[in-house]
Amino acid sequence: MRRGEPEGGELEGGELEGGGPPARVPTASAASAVAVLRGVVRLVLVRVSLLVALLALVFAAVELLPGDAATATAERGESAADLAARRHLLGLDQPLWTRFAAWMTALPTGDLGVSAHGRPVAEALADPFPNTLVLALSALALTVLASLALGCWAATRPGGPADRVVGHLATSAFALPEYIVAVALVLPLALWTGLLPAVTVTDGSGSPRSWTMLIMPVLALAIPQTGWNTRIVRGALADQAALPHVEAAVLDGLPARVVVLRHALPGAVPAIAAGIATSAGMLFGGAVVVETLFNHPGIGTLLAGAVSDRDTPLVAGVAACAGAVITLVLLASDLIRDAVVGGRR
Amino acid sequence: MNVFGVRGLRRAVPALLLVIAAVAGPFLAPHAIDAPVTMAYAPPEAGAPLGGDQLGRDVLSRLLSGGTALIVSALAVAVIITVGAIWLGCLAALSPAARRLVERGADIAILLPPVLGVMLIGMTWPGGGRLAVAAATVALGLPYAIRVVAGAAAPLTATGYIETALASGERLSYVAARELVPNLRSTLIALFGLRFVEAVYIISMAGFLQIGPQPPAADWALMIRENSGGILLNPWAVLAPSLAIAVLAISVNLASEALSRRPAVPARPGSARKAAP
Repeated sequence: MRRGEPEGGELEGGELEGGGPPARVPTASAASAVAVLRGVVRLVLVRVSLLVALLALVFAAVELLPGDAATATAERGESAADLAARRHLLGLDQPLWTRFAAWMTALPTGDLGVSAHGRPVAEALADPFPNTLVLALSALALTVLASLALGCWAATRPGGPADRVVGHLATSAFALPEYIVAVALVLPLALWTGLLPAVTVTDGSGSPRSWTMLIMPVLALAIPQTGWNTRIVRGALADQAALPHVEAAVLDGLPARVVVLRHALPGAVPAIAAGIATSAGMLFGGAVVVETLFNHPGIGTLLAGAVSDRDTPLVAGVAACAGAVITLVLLASDLIRDAVVGGRR
Repeated sequence: MNVFGVRGLRRAVPALLLVIAAVAGPFLAPHAIDAPVTMAYAPPEAGAPLGGDQLGRDVLSRLLSGGTALIVSALAVAVIITVGAIWLGCLAALSPAARRLVERGADIAILLPPVLGVMLIGMTWPGGGRLAVAAATVALGLPYAIRVVAGAAAPLTATGYIETALASGERLSYVAARELVPNLRSTLIALFGLRFVEAVYIISMAGFLQIGPQPPAADWALMIRENSGGILLNPWAVLAPSLAIAVLAISVNLASEALSRRPAVPARPGSARKAAP
């Protein structure tokens, strides 16, 4: 479905140096560069339209609320006329479609609307969101490295004890909620031995005072997702192992390590990239929970307050930002797949 | 007919025992769940083998009572999602346009982290409590589950016997129930197991964030949250419910892996935590 435009490359053969995207096309003709570019544009459009659809759903969910931002922030003894005036000020008396269009068109400019307390959502997110992003992206990087290493290691010993132990550990790990892993880490590493700080302390600018405060939250996030992705990597490598060129490499007597890394892994990359990209959402959601436990200054703490205040614009704003980040990660995996498949075309 | 094998059944025993124990637990609790019997965060003592929690309530009694609602609602969610996915997935498998719609629906659902989805639905349904959380879990899990069923059923719809059944004028629901579902057994078992694990994950996480069950209810996730402040005074108040959730999730995951001989492989891995590769 998502593999560029296969009909493009052969029709015209202009010799302009395309210098295009990193697809490994054998003859770098302008036509195939254009085809690749069209494929990329199409991927971006698909992902962006999906994001817009999600935002429409989030907006609809917020609209289903019985109250709105004007009543949520109403003070005691405010008259109906005052309320109506504020509703007009906030634009809440506009028709639904007008407000949705206004919200959507403001989003790309960084305007996420106004929280129930009258503070711009973008301003409320400015400090905590990067902290959460650092947490989630470090965990993603760790997950990629660990699951590739574990999956490849298991694949070099197919059916052996190491393969089975890794398989069962991975299955067990991905069933665990992140906050359970966090509890399992915090007792031995912080409370009993004092090796790592148990809670995050911030400096003046609102970011963690020391990088050691990131170790446990990142581990708590990465361990379940590593379990999940190790299974993806192992499964993708097992699929590749059945292919003729890999079997030929085995029969040629190449060492298992070379077979896995040189012959099986390249073909498994699209499946692995797609699998790992789906971890982005889980990591982001898990970060919100783990932050509450470690008192990490991210959006988790902010959202906990938003739920008790029923501050839906804030939650919708966070959902929009999270959706955008996850879209970028998914798009990256789309492009990796496109490049690999394009190279084979 | 023996799809599971003795080994598969044996691996399902721990999960089954645990579910039975958690459902029977409230009747075994030695103390009331909402009455103090010890000092706050008292370490294990004669009357309270796991000590007391932040209000001096018996941790063991609360542990025995705290899993019932979680497990029952997770089971209900898994059943609803699986049954719903069978219906909608089989229907979608019979029409290419519906399949594209299903693909897009699952692609959209990935973009919303489950925590945020539960928060949004919990807020739009104030006072919904556990029911709101369960509804949110169904809504978040269904798109992906439909895709798994539709993806697994699609190759079957091109087989002769399905085409024959359709051409001879059988109703779609009949074809789905009698021809498609029996051939999707291992996919559906894997789907049910993973949906159960996912439901435990989301529902317990909502409990941890205090969206579903409210104090003074006994709930494993809520116990972890409430007692984390006194983890050094009585670690069991946090460790016991953590272990309970961990053992539940792991045993169900291993059981569903053992029961579904060939785990369902989605054409394109979708939202996290679903079918195993």
